[in-house]
Amino acid sequence: MDFIGIKSDEELFSDIPSSIRKKGIPISRGISEYEVMRLAEEIGSANTGYNYANFMGCGIYDRIIPSAVDSVIGRSEFITSYTPYQAEFSQGMLQSLFEYQSLISDLTGMDMTNSSIYDGATALGEAVRMAHRINEKTEILVPENLYRSKMDVIHSYSSGLNLKFISYSFEKKTGYIDLEDLASKISANTSAIICENPNSFGVIDPNVMKVQEIKGEALLITYVDPVSLGVVVPPGSYGADISVSEGQQLGIHREFGGPLLGLFSFRKEYLRKSPGRIIGLTSDSKGKRAFVMTIQTREQHIRREKATSNICTNQALMALASAVYLSIVGPEGIRKIANVTISQAKKLKDAVSSVRGYDAKFLSGTSFSDVLVRMPGDPADIQRALFEKGILGPIPSSSLFPNLEAFAKSGFFSVTEKTSDGNIRFLADSLGAIQ
Amino acid sequence: MSYHQATYDERLLNEFRSGSTFKIPGDGSAAEKLLPSGMARKELPLPSLAEYDAVRHFTRLSQMNYSVDLGIYPLGSCTMKYNPKYADKIVSMEQFAEMHPLQPDYSVQGSLRIMYELQEYLKKISDMDAVTLQPLAGAHGEFTGILIVRKYLEDTGQLDMRREIIVPDSAHGTNPASAAMGGFNVVEVPSDSTGMVDIDALRSALSEKTAALMITNPSTLGLFERNVVQIAKLVHDAGALLYYDGANFNAILGITSPGIMGFDIVHFNLHKTFATPHGGGGPGAGPVAVKKRLEKYLPIPRIGFDGKRYFEDFSSDKSVGRVSPYYGAFGVLLRAWAYITYHGSDGLEANSRKAVLNTNYVSRRLSEYLSDPYGGVKKHEVVLSSSNTGERALDIAKYLIDNGVHAPTIYFPLIVKEALMIEPTETVNRDDLDAFCDAVIGSLKAGHEDLHQRPVNLSVGRIDEIKAARDQILTWSAIKK
Repeated sequence: MDFIGIKSDEELFSDIPSSIRKKGIPISRGISEYEVMRLAEEIGSANTGYNYANFMGCGIYDRIIPSAVDSVIGRSEFITSYTPYQAEFSQGMLQSLFEYQSLISDLTGMDMTNSSIYDGATALGEAVRMAHRINEKTEILVPENLYRSKMDVIHSYSSGLNLKFISYSFEKKTGYIDLEDLASKISANTSAIICENPNSFGVIDPNVMKVQEIKGEALLITYVDPVSLGVVVPPGSYGADISVSEGQQLGIHREFGGPLLGLFSFRKEYLRKSPGRIIGLTSDSKGKRAFVMTIQTREQHIRREKATSNICTNQALMALASAVYLSIVGPEGIRKIANVTISQAKKLKDAVSSVRGYDAKFLSGTSFSDVLVRMPGDPADIQRALFEKGILGPIPSSSLFPNLEAFAKSGFFSVTEKTSDGNIRFLADSLGAIQ
Repeated sequence: MSYHQATYDERLLNEFRSGSTFKIPGDGSAAEKLLPSGMARKELPLPSLAEYDAVRHFTRLSQMNYSVDLGIYPLGSCTMKYNPKYADKIVSMEQFAEMHPLQPDYSVQGSLRIMYELQEYLKKISDMDAVTLQPLAGAHGEFTGILIVRKYLEDTGQLDMRREIIVPDSAHGTNPASAAMGGFNVVEVPSDSTGMVDIDALRSALSEKTAALMITNPSTLGLFERNVVQIAKLVHDAGALLYYDGANFNAILGITSPGIMGFDIVHFNLHKTFATPHGGGGPGAGPVAVKKRLEKYLPIPRIGFDGKRYFEDFSSDKSVGRVSPYYGAFGVLLRAWAYITYHGSDGLEANSRKAVLNTNYVSRRLSEYLSDPYGGVKKHEVVLSSSNTGERALDIAKYLIDNGVHAPTIYFPLIVKEALMIEPTETVNRDDLDAFCDAVIGSLKAGHEDLHQRPVNLSVGRIDEIKAARDQILTWSAIKK
């Protein structure tokens, strides 16, 4: 204070008119670290179910996370850094994000991937905006069973654009896209078609591969499960223009739904229309390989109101987690994880369908993680009864697609590679016992 | 100065050959015949390396990355302060980390309580009436605020008429970008010679077409907008809303608040003000608070409490809907809750006072060497210009990082030529402030030639950004063999 020439730090606030001065913050005074930890533990003890037999998924999954993932992303050099504005000082994060872009592009079979969007739903919102930027058309075709939460987010994202959302239906028997219905809704005004794989019924849908034959000039936006891509053909091979995903499954804890990771990939001709930060390879003054944020003339800090998106802070640390995860799991690992998931889903289907009143086979398509089950009662009541037995699930369909009344009495049990045969039996036995 | 960053000629992941060592239990052999025909993937071109190689790879990369835990990181408007380690422990407790967002209310009372208490904290810090925690970053909070403006105008029958959002020329780039995303036209107003919003220009910009004015206070120039009460009156008299960009909140905790100043909508950057780690670019969290009359437009669900139980509140039928699928970035919210609980009313205010003191110290030391275009007392940050020295801000920045201290934000705000925007925060000791200032002064004495060849002590030398933009090599498959 002597150096600045003031006697009290109050003088540094002399420019704030007294009429708008605040008399302190009306909350408790600070406490010690020890007390904060104990308080957090005490509050946390009101959370239950995290150690139950888990059958909750539908977008957020309990997958095996190699210990090394947390170890790497917990390194303070990564977690306490920020956006690599000074590239020469931040090559570690830049190279990691370049590798993330490469890994996700390889996984999805797409040309390019940005260095992250907030989550799968907001990535879908950005994808819709990007499609409209590319072709300036106004109709977006969406699956009738798209989760309400995703639809709400897309609506929010497009509220400034005057877009029209038109839903297309699914085949009642298989749960696949109804291609005839979809074809009838494609017009000269169609900006983009959103297709999911697996779809919102949890079903791996072979009809997505045929959409490219009927889409005409419309763009194809896919929303895919990144783990399924270990065994399922990638969107790049069936004509996707933009592909987005929720990346939580790739090494990120569920953490009550955030922070998550939005994967965002696209064909290279659309680079300049794309949102988000992008890392490029270049060299330094001596010709050594180096990485730097690039194609920034799309971004808010340069283009302001003409930017392709307002995104600034993104999910870099989550992107790093997924890069570490994929590098450890490797191609054979992700393949096996996907295969075990499909196998366990089949076992769950068989086991649950053997319980009187439950039908997990009314859709004939193959389930990936999420198994849709018709139930003899209100799914929320069944959820409560199972909870008392130490089981998490089902997620009622009415909370995901409330518009489809035919599914009011159905819900999802989800599996991952962590779902044991024993827990599947426990679930089936418990369903039998609560009747 | 004898700084030297670790340097490795680190390969890319796909240049490793060791083969994966990963194992999981279970048997997936039945799966292949379950896939619909034509749906089986044939090639999966991912790298295959041993876990030990992956960990060494990323550890070496981490050593080529500067961070807050290594020292001062005075990026202006980014509030890079020390991130407390107790928060790391709390977010990794399994009773928080392993919760599914769609679990029923009765099983998530702990998480809901954390969020409810955070909502209450933010209300009391900002003197606003209601909070949503759903937005996932500052810019996402801004966009949420813009959606609230839209919904309010729609609800009151003014949306067709009020199509303009005014931002000062010193605003963060996200402000105009968020306004444009919400379908509004952006009108820019200039700053006057003292760095304040030009009141006459604002007066003539305001009209029956104005939807809102977005400002940050203190501004990106690090100055407190003295006329804020008058600005609020002008905006409200014009029938528009006043939006507060909370990026610079760290200057004013407990000292004043957007609620008292007359703002209608506020976003917080929890990762800045409440010290959650920035993660190399994210995640953040950008909760939004509003005054009572706008409460019904907030995204749903919010977190309610009936005296006994915490619950998801979907009750508003005028809500803008959802801006993200769940509750927001819960892990970030939990860290911010822990930070606020730890520091409390006394600590938060003391932090702001120290942050402002540190800024003024740096400002005083460096304004002898660099020009201070607006003078006066600073808040969370100071913007100086090197245009009086003949050296470019970029070259000074490269000298600083070459000496092991992070550079300020440069070339922002756009209205200051050769800008160096310095935000030291409260978590830097005086010796380190001096070392930073000495390095800036050192850069001015080093001479053109020396500056131009910097950096030489880092893992790479000066990077060719133009080549990156021209070549567009964004994946390893695009590298020419």
